[in-house]
Amino acid sequence: MTKDPKTKQPSRNTKTGYTRRSFMQTTLAGGAAAAGAYFGIIHRADASGPIVIGHQCELTGGFSSWGYWHDKCAKAAVKLINDGGGIAGRKLEMAVGDTESNPAAGARKLRSLIQRQKASFIVGSVHSGIMLASIPIATELKTPYFSAGEATEATGSKGSRYSFRTGTDTYALAAAGVPWAMQNLGKNWTMIFPDYAWGHSHHREHRKLIEAAGGKVNDPIAVPLGTKDIVPYLARIPKETEVLFSVFFGALSVAFYTQQKSMRLDEKMKMYSVSGTIEAIDPRDIGGATEGVYFLENFPRPLEFKNDEYHKKFNELMNVDDVYAKEKGSNKVMAKSHCWQSYENFFVLKKAIETSGWKSQKDTQGVIEALEGLKMENSLAHPQGSKELRAEDHSGMIDCYMSRVEDSKFVIKKRIPRADLEAKLPPRYDFRKYAL
Amino acid sequence: MDVVIALGMNGIVWGLIIALIALGLSIIFGLLDIINIAHGDFFMVGTVLAWFVLQTTGNYWLAFFIVPIIGFGIGALIEYSVIQPIKNAAALSIVATFGLSIILQESVRATYGAAPTRLVPPITGTIPMFGLEYEIYRLFAAAVSIFAIALFFGFLHRTKFGTWMRAVRFDPEMATAMGIPARKIYMVTFAIGFAMAALGGVVAAPITTVDFQGGVDILPFCFMAVIIGGLGNLEGTVAAAVMLAFFEGVMASFFDPTIARIGSLCLMSIVLLIRPHGIFAGATR
Repeated sequence: MTKDPKTKQPSRNTKTGYTRRSFMQTTLAGGAAAAGAYFGIIHRADASGPIVIGHQCELTGGFSSWGYWHDKCAKAAVKLINDGGGIAGRKLEMAVGDTESNPAAGARKLRSLIQRQKASFIVGSVHSGIMLASIPIATELKTPYFSAGEATEATGSKGSRYSFRTGTDTYALAAAGVPWAMQNLGKNWTMIFPDYAWGHSHHREHRKLIEAAGGKVNDPIAVPLGTKDIVPYLARIPKETEVLFSVFFGALSVAFYTQQKSMRLDEKMKMYSVSGTIEAIDPRDIGGATEGVYFLENFPRPLEFKNDEYHKKFNELMNVDDVYAKEKGSNKVMAKSHCWQSYENFFVLKKAIETSGWKSQKDTQGVIEALEGLKMENSLAHPQGSKELRAEDHSGMIDCYMSRVEDSKFVIKKRIPRADLEAKLPPRYDFRKYAL
Repeated sequence: MDVVIALGMNGIVWGLIIALIALGLSIIFGLLDIINIAHGDFFMVGTVLAWFVLQTTGNYWLAFFIVPIIGFGIGALIEYSVIQPIKNAAALSIVATFGLSIILQESVRATYGAAPTRLVPPITGTIPMFGLEYEIYRLFAAAVSIFAIALFFGFLHRTKFGTWMRAVRFDPEMATAMGIPARKIYMVTFAIGFAMAALGGVVAAPITTVDFQGGVDILPFCFMAVIIGGLGNLEGTVAAAVMLAFFEGVMASFFDPTIARIGSLCLMSIVLLIRPHGIFAGATR
């Protein structure tokens, strides 16, 4: 330590009045206070009070037609759980954060859910961009996060020990759909998709499997978001195409089906897609533009194709009809292939919390370990069907359904059991090796 | 070569529809100095009203007449309640019309819903056109756009009210001193701008979709047409919209359509560098 040569006292900054020692003391005290506050946030849950689960949801913006259903599903699950005595005898409280269908707003709301509203677990977004922006934050704040979107990175290259998904990703959808589609629709494929993560993810995963099975994949066509006139893109589809695989969302999806129909492309090639492109849309409302299109679904729209008491009761809870999944008394169509996750994930967390004996934030490791490999039976808590949250990659292994739109109704052509899917879908990551 | 011609023609067709919408944006800017961020939403309201007319009457043709009239009424109301209080404050107009845009979108979402729908065109069928099965309705849509644009210019140049509008654009103080009801002209001009965007919505709805955010993506293209054509230059706006869409169509046949869009943006940048007031700026006012 340097000292003043005249006074032999520690040297003092004449402007601030601090000595080096007092500065160090203040800094250390401040650091200790900040660390205390941080751990206060981390260990935020009162071990006897309500358990708060955050729901990061698209209530407004471009995904709000889906968000409505995710919100409705989450509320129904919370009510059922609380009516049944809560989680481990504690009341369940849900804190909702509207992402505005925007990754920046979604990430901000996630921080707010965890840090301000003290959510200990998050049932997350269905928007791939938002969920990918959220996972690093949830990981940083050591909070388990359930994605509902399909970009494979959430339980892949950008996943973590805290990231889970009970539904399918592009990897699973490709594994579930390609074998049947190659056998029944054709071997020369062209893919057309929106120019962002979700579309490119589908292209990568499908291309690998198609080429491995001896098929040909033509140059992809990436359509910029916000395009109104798709004709220039449709004009680029090679004439030899047998299967046109499209992955669009919302208005762009309707524009695609409308414009391909008017160009009579569906008379020249088979149209194949995934449920995300027709979610919350009734084929009757788009004038038959999807007639004859094949869709890979996660949950059949008509009750008759998974006709059991749990599916029926779930439809009743959601107040939708048993054929078109349309809300009674409104024009809203259920985003059925995805929104069940915002319902079931609350029950998944309930089971993991109760199994692990979680009391507060310091017990989160136990919940994560309970979630890894968790098995769920077909029940009112899991109306989509029996499933497993695979231990290695935190991915849901579920039954999938190949449907075709016939007279505006989704008719199942093939059920792909989860056992078949699991056999074709080796885990590419093992998050159990990742530090908590 | 066939594809080049087909996509070039498609570009002209699409450009005419855009021109109809952008013309409304241009007259609002030219007369009122309002940078109307909500103009795309006027188009969106047109698509929703078209859907509503079809649902209630079962006749899509009626929408071509009813929707512009309703749009005119809504436009007049907006001018009175939103635009008039901020007259002569161009910076405020951006904030006010941005707020208006959010209100229009969320009102439609709350009433019509968030799910997009399709309107079946009143004319169905295709014709083979240079290797493409081309939708007949698109040709009809282009014809309606040409008719509406011609009607507007006829109104502007051949009627007393149109002369007043040009006079107020040229010199509002002098026009007022000459006894022209400038206040009324402002309101009617804004209402015509809304009506034209709404008509654009009726024309385009069967080609695109009916969606509460349907106007968001169309606005940048309209602004590009207005800027390249020369701010407030009506003939320039129409010419620029058609030229831009044609340029993109032809580019799309040689390159990836994304590259074509980048090309349009580069073209706009070059025009702004060489002629900061737009290609047809000399004709302004």
